[in-house]
Amino acid sequence: MAIAFPTRPFYSQVKIDIEGPVGRRSPIAVSLLKNLGPSDEKRRISESITDTLVYDLNLSGWFRVLDRTAYIENPQTSGITAGSFDFKDWSTIGAEGLVKGGFALQGDDLTVEMRLFDVFQAKQIVGKRYGGRGGDSRRIAHKFADEIIAQFTGTPGVFNTRIAYISLTSGFKEVFVSHLDGTGKQQLTNNRTINLRPSWSPDGRFILYTSYKEGLPALYLYDLANGRDTRLGSQRTSSMGGRWSPDGKHLVASFEENGNSDLYLLDRSGKTVRRLTADPGIDVSPTWAPDGNRIAFVSDRSGSPQIYAMDVATGKTQRLSYSGGYNTSPDWAPKGDKITYTGRVAGRFHIFAMNAQGGEAQQLTSSAGDNEDPSFAPDGRMIVFSSSRTGRYQLHIMRDTGENQQRLTASGGGDTNPSWSPRLE
Amino acid sequence: MDRIGALYRVVLCSAFFTLAACASPTQPPTEPPGGSLTQSDAQGPAGIREATSGPSTTTGGRSLQDAQAGKLPVTPPGSPLKEVYFGYDRYDLDTEARATLKANADWLKANVSARVEVEGHCDERGTSEYNLALGAKRSQAVKDYLATLGVAATRLSTISYGEELPVCKEQTEDCWQKNRRARFVIVSGRPAS
Repeated sequence: MAIAFPTRPFYSQVKIDIEGPVGRRSPIAVSLLKNLGPSDEKRRISESITDTLVYDLNLSGWFRVLDRTAYIENPQTSGITAGSFDFKDWSTIGAEGLVKGGFALQGDDLTVEMRLFDVFQAKQIVGKRYGGRGGDSRRIAHKFADEIIAQFTGTPGVFNTRIAYISLTSGFKEVFVSHLDGTGKQQLTNNRTINLRPSWSPDGRFILYTSYKEGLPALYLYDLANGRDTRLGSQRTSSMGGRWSPDGKHLVASFEENGNSDLYLLDRSGKTVRRLTADPGIDVSPTWAPDGNRIAFVSDRSGSPQIYAMDVATGKTQRLSYSGGYNTSPDWAPKGDKITYTGRVAGRFHIFAMNAQGGEAQQLTSSAGDNEDPSFAPDGRMIVFSSSRTGRYQLHIMRDTGENQQRLTASGGGDTNPSWSPRLE
Repeated sequence: MDRIGALYRVVLCSAFFTLAACASPTQPPTEPPGGSLTQSDAQGPAGIREATSGPSTTTGGRSLQDAQAGKLPVTPPGSPLKEVYFGYDRYDLDTEARATLKANADWLKANVSARVEVEGHCDERGTSEYNLALGAKRSQAVKDYLATLGVAATRLSTISYGEELPVCKEQTEDCWQKNRRARFVIVSGRPAS
């Protein structure tokens, strides 16, 4: 889909800023795209692409997009290649980076060309051409945002992803998925019972969740391609939720027997492969290490809920969290190095991150309200979580360092239990 | 997506399942879920309560059905089976809870045909999955204690609603205490008196 222009030396001028002072965001300008196609006005497409790009870049925490009203040049009359416009028009307004581009819509065939420039060095960093349909404009913008992040940090961004979550919009907790910018919102369940804790399959095609729709809470698998919904496992016991293995071949889930929840390894049809825990305490909220060899989970076997890690093959288990009397809902970072979780401090709940080997934890949130259920982005550099800091629970996002906390949703009923998808096409 | 009709069947189904699970926790039911369901004659959302008029109305309906009807899951003051309350992040029964359960057990022994679902609930603090597991511990603690008082375990089923169906929605300790509860819902059988 993308034709890469020859990539120039790295965006070195600005890259230094990543290591720079906390909160330093590189000022960047995103010009409206030039209509390169037939003469009829298609400003809507240009705005859809640039608005999406602006949203993504601001969300990333690495950029501060300069206000379009301050731009000097006219995008429709100036060129989009180095040498065909004046870099001074951009350095004057304080831009260090600049995105320019053009598009052509013929029938429903959309071609978009976008270029990233280093304003100080007056040169192009990267350029891409994308082809698609008229409705693909946001997807294309997300792709170029990912490319800008790749140039800036060495790793692509995660803007072609979605969040699965629980929303109380209808008065009942139902499963939804949405893009980060709130577009493409889709309600997956409508059973008017209680639905909890959705999580993505590693291929991004299925949502695993817990629902009361047949009585006791059970695990269900929702196929995003056709809306087919399958119950996993027996209906005779309650399930407290499950997660996919990184290779997509197994699940680990918590099932209740005589009031006690334990973890089980399942195949993807829901058949039990092996029981993983058998202690009298609560064992719940599993998360897989990206190597697939270990899981982290919550157990109250010590008397309070704490995070433990288990080697799936040997069953060897180790306690990871020691500070605080309530640590739950762990999520293992995609690079394997960290685990984020919910911990209680002075009666409030906050998001923490610790080394995957355990030990000292870093508190990432400190706002008013409660902050719960963190989920890493597929690149491990951002975390989505739910927070009641603005009243009702809403989804928020932050860097994995806790910087750049921003609200994603503002639903009337409240949004909780977010799960960040893998990278999607 | 589920249709309303399916929901009614599902609500009835859950009664069969929890009872079946309770009667033989180690054996899966011999019939698939759909089989036993379609035999029930669902008449509407209040079908269960109407069918078992006497006792169900005195304990109140299932908490999820109350929520579906837009009501708070309140146990009526006249209920023969009183709620019991728990400490924060705890599932042990204190003296008061044991006294309440003694009275509940006496009523259950006098009304031997009544089958009861014990709902475990939590306050809103903490995360949903852990609270689901905690609610399960609470309902089981109640079931186990009633069994030691001579109530047949086969008459008692359990379900955890975690933090999902609070009876009180303010953020105060008073409210949280009301939500950390085990509720009793008579799901079948008429009382002797």
